[in-house]
Amino acid sequence: MKPLKIGITGVRGIVGETLTPEVVIAFSGAFGTYMEGGRILVGRDTRASGPMVRAAVMAGLLASGCEVIDLGICPTPSLQLAVSWLSANGGISITAGHNPVPWNALKFVRSDGLYLNSMQGEELLDIFHQGDFTRATWDRICREIQYQDPIEHHIERLKHVFDVEAIKARGLKVAVDCCNGACSRLIPRWLQELGCEVLAINNDLASPFPHSPEPKPETMAQLSAVVKAGHADIGFAHDADGERLGIVTESGQPLSEELTLAMAARIRLACKPGTVVTNVSTSSAIDRIAAEFGGAVVRTQVGQAYISEAIIEHNAILGGEGSGGVTVPEVQLTHDSAAAAGLILEGLALAGRRVSEVVQELPSLAMIKRNLAVEPNRLYSMLQAFRMAVEREGLTCDLTDGIRVVLQDGWIHVRASNTESMIRLIVEADNATDANRLADWARDRLTNQARGW
Amino acid sequence: MRAIPTLKISISGVRGVIGESLTPELLTRFAQAFGTYVGPGTLVIGRDPRTSGEMVKQAVIGGLLSAGCRILDIGICPVPTVQLLVRHHRARGGIALTASHNPAEWNALKFIDANGLFLSSGNAREMLDIYHQGDYTRVAGAEMRGVEETSGATDLHIEKILETLRPLPASQKKLRVVLDACNGAGSLVGPKLLNALGATVISINVTPNGLFPRPAEPLPENLAALCEAVLENQADIGFAQDMDADRLAVVSEKGKPIGEDYTLVLAALYALGREPGPVVANLSTTSSLEAIAKQFSCPLFLTKIGEVNVTEEMQKQKAVIGGEGNGGVIYPRINFARDSLVGMALILHLLTETGSRVTDLLETFPRFSMIKEKIVCPSNQIASVLKMIRRDYAAYRIDDRDGVKVMMPNGWFLVRGSNTEPIVRVIAEAETEQDARDLLVSVYHKVKECISR
Repeated sequence: MKPLKIGITGVRGIVGETLTPEVVIAFSGAFGTYMEGGRILVGRDTRASGPMVRAAVMAGLLASGCEVIDLGICPTPSLQLAVSWLSANGGISITAGHNPVPWNALKFVRSDGLYLNSMQGEELLDIFHQGDFTRATWDRICREIQYQDPIEHHIERLKHVFDVEAIKARGLKVAVDCCNGACSRLIPRWLQELGCEVLAINNDLASPFPHSPEPKPETMAQLSAVVKAGHADIGFAHDADGERLGIVTESGQPLSEELTLAMAARIRLACKPGTVVTNVSTSSAIDRIAAEFGGAVVRTQVGQAYISEAIIEHNAILGGEGSGGVTVPEVQLTHDSAAAAGLILEGLALAGRRVSEVVQELPSLAMIKRNLAVEPNRLYSMLQAFRMAVEREGLTCDLTDGIRVVLQDGWIHVRASNTESMIRLIVEADNATDANRLADWARDRLTNQARGW
Repeated sequence: MRAIPTLKISISGVRGVIGESLTPELLTRFAQAFGTYVGPGTLVIGRDPRTSGEMVKQAVIGGLLSAGCRILDIGICPVPTVQLLVRHHRARGGIALTASHNPAEWNALKFIDANGLFLSSGNAREMLDIYHQGDYTRVAGAEMRGVEETSGATDLHIEKILETLRPLPASQKKLRVVLDACNGAGSLVGPKLLNALGATVISINVTPNGLFPRPAEPLPENLAALCEAVLENQADIGFAQDMDADRLAVVSEKGKPIGEDYTLVLAALYALGREPGPVVANLSTTSSLEAIAKQFSCPLFLTKIGEVNVTEEMQKQKAVIGGEGNGGVIYPRINFARDSLVGMALILHLLTETGSRVTDLLETFPRFSMIKEKIVCPSNQIASVLKMIRRDYAAYRIDDRDGVKVMMPNGWFLVRGSNTEPIVRVIAEAETEQDARDLLVSVYHKVKECISR
């Protein structure tokens, strides 16, 4: 299977195979055409393919008549904040986020700092496929690239939102694993601004990822060891571009990535009731926490653009996804792991509590996530077969995104990944036995073609 | 009516119009083909200051990195500097990003081999095959190498020139030199070299902004401003470079262009006086060069037209100096490339050594009158035109390696089909202008008659 995924969230592929400089140039040219020129920001994570993709992006943008500001290596949320700061028309973040080293991708940001929504993504794709890009003539083409660093501006914004003095007063010791990603430039500095004693690991921009850049319990062993050895109050794990956050408690226990949003929601709702926005495949712990504090939950399709738009629509106080991405609307309307860390540290400081104490108050549920690699041309027919099988049994399918089925003792969500050619199955129940039973139930109905779970 | 196609892909590189035929996709494919051809290793890239230069550079960098190359980016500099740096760093090759004398809307890639020479026709054909087959080396992200930017390339170039030719003797009266760099790649390094040589420099058109103050070819009709500046400043000599600073034209102390044919003649006069040896030029070069070679008892070898042919013959003959009648001076002691900087240094040394004025120097050797004309001719008739010339002038000495050159008692003429346009070029040279014109007219009528038959 040749992994190139061209979708509304951008273009993503394996460098050296499918993500060629030609594809990157064409996509950047399509984006420059779509934005009708103007000033475009470009940032990237630390992947070794970054300089190649960056050069191709620059060529595509310049050729389509854009003025380009290079932000160098920076988290995607730093770029998103810088769009209005630098009066830009949009941006391209070069990062495959939590995907492994061989991957890279382009994420497209519009003039308000948010990702293109699905309709805009479709429009961009149409231009890409038509291939009829704006081509700047010699007297219009931008002659040079400018440079800016967005990190300081990002930290200033964060400092305005959170109670820096309260956090400083607590004198927290924080371990952080930046996965040698873009957060290496932001998070240690931000934590120092908060008066924390910082135990930073994997914060070398020039080194490869020491482990998968997806903050999950299985990638947090090193961080856990540092928390224990250094007697830290908490540990934070970041993905390559500063969207997702994983947490390790002061006892060194790595938490499920589902608990990042749950913890943020509990901290937030305890002092500010309101609506929390999340997607259909995130833990129902959110519903229980919201119910406890009299808040509401709005569920969207999977994808940041949907969360951002629903936060605006419902004037929500928090957004996020089960993957560990959290949006604190006062900072910006998009996932930002620096903002999530700030929110959690502020919550611990103001309540004077330890992180394990907060964890104990979170609903305890069992979740199972399974992925099934499927050829791109079979993805949707398999989902359709699953839906028909479920409906034949008299059950109702929620089709907000993929297929979500609520059963007596839990729920099942099956959908095609936005970023890879695979089907994702997520199951949640009160205990592991029930969850496994539900997962098997779903597997049986995903047709017999599905092998290799 | 269809627009005239501007894209030209040939053994001398790829050339086209920005915003039209020379797209970033095409450029990045060419860079990949070249990277695939030379293999993983260091490549030197440099560019002229055209407005599209940054875009072209980024597209090239994307392609080369994708092919696994390491890049040494030497910024805006003359083409001969790129060639010099390839040899200095023992690089696998290089790419010069310049459309030399073409107008501002053009740009181009010129490919350089490990010896600092433009790809020979055989090598260029192999590279073009790879380009057309489209099966490029694509390395994985983890194997990708980086870009190193250096600003010291032109200083190194100056250093190399001074190492071999030394500064002008301080005992002599300081020469007053006017330089017209056409706002091109020689804008900064040109005045710097002249100062380092010990001349008093007056510069015009030395803002490397990609805007052409005059047509880039240093032909007499394009040098009005330089001629005026020479007179106004009572200078000893005026120099004009083209956009990529490989060609050089000279204006005398009387404010008269001496004709770009005589640049090589003057340079040879000094070089052969310093060290006699073989001379190489193409077969349309003025007979004055032959006279100079004879004066020093040195053999002169004439080649087919094209820089590659000249440099290949120079290597074979171990030539002391060589070049082309268009103002290209090649002096292998410093650089195996047409190099306007080297040309200036040689000619200034000639002036101080002889203590003569430019006008007086031109009197020290026989000079000839050269006239050029072109005749529209369908491509399929070129062969019969050449056949007719060979037959009708069979009584005379004929050189038919490149078109047909006929040595007449009072001069010579050359009839040659163009590689790029449906025309036949006729060049005649004789001792007097009248003789040259008579020669040209007689051939012109024969060719016309042959075409209309």
